[in-house]
Amino acid sequence: MARIGVFICHCGTNIAGTVDINGVVEAAKQMPMVVHAAENKYNCSEPGQALIRDAIVEHRLNRVVIAACSPRMHENTFRKTVAAAGLNPYLLEIANLREHCSWVHGDGKEAATIKAMELIRMAVAKVARHEQLFPKQVPLTKRALIIGGGISGIQAALDIANAGHKVVLVEREPTIGGRMAQLDKTFPTLDCSSCILTPKMVEVAQHPNITLLTSAEVKEVKGFVGNFEVSILQKTRKVDHTKCTGCGICWQKCPEKAPSEFDVGMGKRTSIYIPFPQAVPPKPVIDTSSCRYYKYLRFMEEKKEGKPPPQCRVCEKLCPVNAIDWEQKDEILTEKFGAIIVATGYKPFDPTIYSELGFGRHPDVITGLQLERMMSASGPASGEVTRPSTGEHPKDVVFLTCVGSRDEQRGRTYCSKVCCMYIAKHAIMLKEHDPEVQCYVFYMDVRTVSKDYEEFYKRAQESGTIYIRGKVSQIRQEDGKLIVRGEDTLLGEMVEIPADMVVLAIGMEHNPGAVELAQALKVSYDVNELFIEAHPKLRPVETMSDGVFVAGACVGPRDIPESVASGGAAAAKVAVLFSQDFLTTDPMVAVIDQMKCGGCLLCTKVCPFKAIDTQVLRDGRTVAVVNESLCKGCGLCVAACRFGAPNLRGFTQQQLLAEVTSLWQ
Amino acid sequence: MSAAMDQTAQIRQKARELLENKVVDCVIGYERATDGVNARPLFVYEPEEADRLIFDQTCTHNLTRYLLNRKGKPTAIVVKPCDSRAINLLLNESQLQREKIHIIGVVCPGVVERQWRQASAKLLNACQVCQQHVPVIYDVLVGELPSEPTVAEHYPDVVEMEAKSAEERQVFWKEQFSRCIRCYACRQACPGCYCPECFAERLDPLWVGIRIAPGENEVWNTIRAFHLAGRCIGCYQCEQVCPVDIPLSLLNRKLEKEVLGLFNFQAGMDAETSPPFSTFKKEEKLGIGE
Repeated sequence: MARIGVFICHCGTNIAGTVDINGVVEAAKQMPMVVHAAENKYNCSEPGQALIRDAIVEHRLNRVVIAACSPRMHENTFRKTVAAAGLNPYLLEIANLREHCSWVHGDGKEAATIKAMELIRMAVAKVARHEQLFPKQVPLTKRALIIGGGISGIQAALDIANAGHKVVLVEREPTIGGRMAQLDKTFPTLDCSSCILTPKMVEVAQHPNITLLTSAEVKEVKGFVGNFEVSILQKTRKVDHTKCTGCGICWQKCPEKAPSEFDVGMGKRTSIYIPFPQAVPPKPVIDTSSCRYYKYLRFMEEKKEGKPPPQCRVCEKLCPVNAIDWEQKDEILTEKFGAIIVATGYKPFDPTIYSELGFGRHPDVITGLQLERMMSASGPASGEVTRPSTGEHPKDVVFLTCVGSRDEQRGRTYCSKVCCMYIAKHAIMLKEHDPEVQCYVFYMDVRTVSKDYEEFYKRAQESGTIYIRGKVSQIRQEDGKLIVRGEDTLLGEMVEIPADMVVLAIGMEHNPGAVELAQALKVSYDVNELFIEAHPKLRPVETMSDGVFVAGACVGPRDIPESVASGGAAAAKVAVLFSQDFLTTDPMVAVIDQMKCGGCLLCTKVCPFKAIDTQVLRDGRTVAVVNESLCKGCGLCVAACRFGAPNLRGFTQQQLLAEVTSLWQ
Repeated sequence: MSAAMDQTAQIRQKARELLENKVVDCVIGYERATDGVNARPLFVYEPEEADRLIFDQTCTHNLTRYLLNRKGKPTAIVVKPCDSRAINLLLNESQLQREKIHIIGVVCPGVVERQWRQASAKLLNACQVCQQHVPVIYDVLVGELPSEPTVAEHYPDVVEMEAKSAEERQVFWKEQFSRCIRCYACRQACPGCYCPECFAERLDPLWVGIRIAPGENEVWNTIRAFHLAGRCIGCYQCEQVCPVDIPLSLLNRKLEKEVLGLFNFQAGMDAETSPPFSTFKKEEKLGIGE
């Protein structure tokens, strides 16, 4: 027989100001199976909790109703309270008298009091049918997967590895380093980007706890926190990296050239290549689309007429360790992980859709990233900035901000955060390279929100850069110059600036494949296909998918310090997860009664967490089974099932029906 | 009449072949009932029994329900176009294995109302508005394809009902359900009603009271209709077997029409399309309630 105690909280005046507490206590005493009802100023205070514990012992209570604030607030507090008095913590029900009653019915004390009584009556009816629930413990694999080898992925990998756990770092490109490796200098300190990045890249490569998989992509993710099973596609490199020593003879001798992805088209690379000299691993891959031998193979396969192209295979002949492997195929590796960090970063916005700016049409209109490669001392131009059309040094350079940012018409509503600052950096750098350069910046607003950023912007202005508030409507070519026409909204007139070079401050956008990855990981994403954190303020590196964390610019535009910080934060969360030997699972999950299951398996399609498996019973029937570690207790299967086979522990059909029925009794 | 005789002969021949070659161990079809006029279901296990099979306009039953009792055993079945949708429904809901069933589809001109010991010439209401004269799934097709498809309003009775006011409809259905004797014949005949334990017989929680009373009857019939929403294949078996003549298919086909309008989905048209209940498309939420 249930012996229920009801504890009604004043919550100061939050509840007591609207609800007649004494009346509610008296009403609660009359309810079936209630043997004790009491009120308290604050149930959640330590004296309040002590009263509850004492009452449980004194009145031999075996069920407890707390009539107070939302269960989101204090359900866990009171579970601990009843557990301390020796009760199973799930023999507790919260009646929400604050958010559901007093706060929304402040104008009618009488009606609010009646509603409070009804809420308590429902909770009493439900708690009488509560059962003891016990959390389960599942083992976990203390091994982390990091997707993306940019600066935030690198930081996360190093932090987890230094905490003593194994890490696998998966990178889609042939090298780690990401976007930061492409940059020349970093604002606001003007540190050399690769000088501060490459030591970290080397540390990753040399760390005994880190396994590096480059030219690899995550294909499929199964399982749940602590026990993920991930299929990773290792793309063929045509070079056996276990043999290759990275001596470099192959890429020095390769006769075929192709545009370099790393230099965003500003330079060329060979067909067998490493993306840049400090690449990690320093071992090459063969680009089969441009390689002469593969051109020959395709020619023979298509049985084209005429003379076949040369077979080449120079790299194979010259390689001292026979590392070239033409037969190497794509491979799928399946590995187990306990946690996953997504650090897939961003893609620079493609400005060709701004047809009025003439990118791709005028060679002297380039993107910020292209200028960055040009400025880089180790880049294709060895740091010499020249006009792509003539090769002369530019004297007048115009920068345009917010290309692909803060533009609703182009579907990019957000600010990309870094562009204002990198323009200031470019202007300062250009002036340093050549004091005769005059820089102009067309801007909407200049946003300098972090430490030393405003001072850095000032420095750009003081170096002689002219900031013009307004947008550019047209760029045309005249007498070898680019005429930039825009409005100066502060002066209220149109201006035209003859420029040698125009630099577009392109924003950040999601990487291709972000949505597919988000779906595989069951992480939510927004309209811009950026990943969504579990809470934008309080849980910024967690996601709604337990055990999956996010770091860096895949969540939204971030600069290097923020990316590093979030990588480290995600690593800390993983370390906390790995500090446990077992994971405790929430027992309030769905269970399926196999006798009632008709095996239509509709629930397997409805379940958003893929938590329902099938099982063939000895009598030949196929039925659905809940994987309790994956189940989040959302109850969709319960609603979808005609057979009435699933039941949600803690919210069973019997409990809910009792709640509703109690209203008209 | 010759067409029907032709169909009968073809069914008999096909059934004999399947049994002789041990492709299946049972053929489910129709035979002449003992009144000499109507048809009744027949289970043929021996090749020599195959000549008892018939097909004509008296073959009103939807036999697919019997397949559920033969799970895993190779079985051939004679299906009309409407019945064939039930097979797709059951395949979609993992109740049948496609490789274990051999479907003898018949081209159907419509079947007639059943009358005790006398032949009827009146087509069933369902058949008068039927647009499906060829089965949607079959292994072998018996009969000639119709020359021109019937184009008729598929839901004339539903449309007529929709025109009435909410009060009128409530009065109508209250009267209908008050006659229900909860014999559950509708459930037993329905190919979509195969729950191991029907909600009507569940005690914990008790969804429907055991009394035969208007309130309970309404709950029973409404929940059954909702369990068939997006699943009813429109075979009219429930209505045909109802001993008190409640127009149950009117209720079920109203929901079929709604699902068709909202989600462009009709149950049983193929075995692969996931029912709207288990899928979600972003554009769907805009349509509801408009």
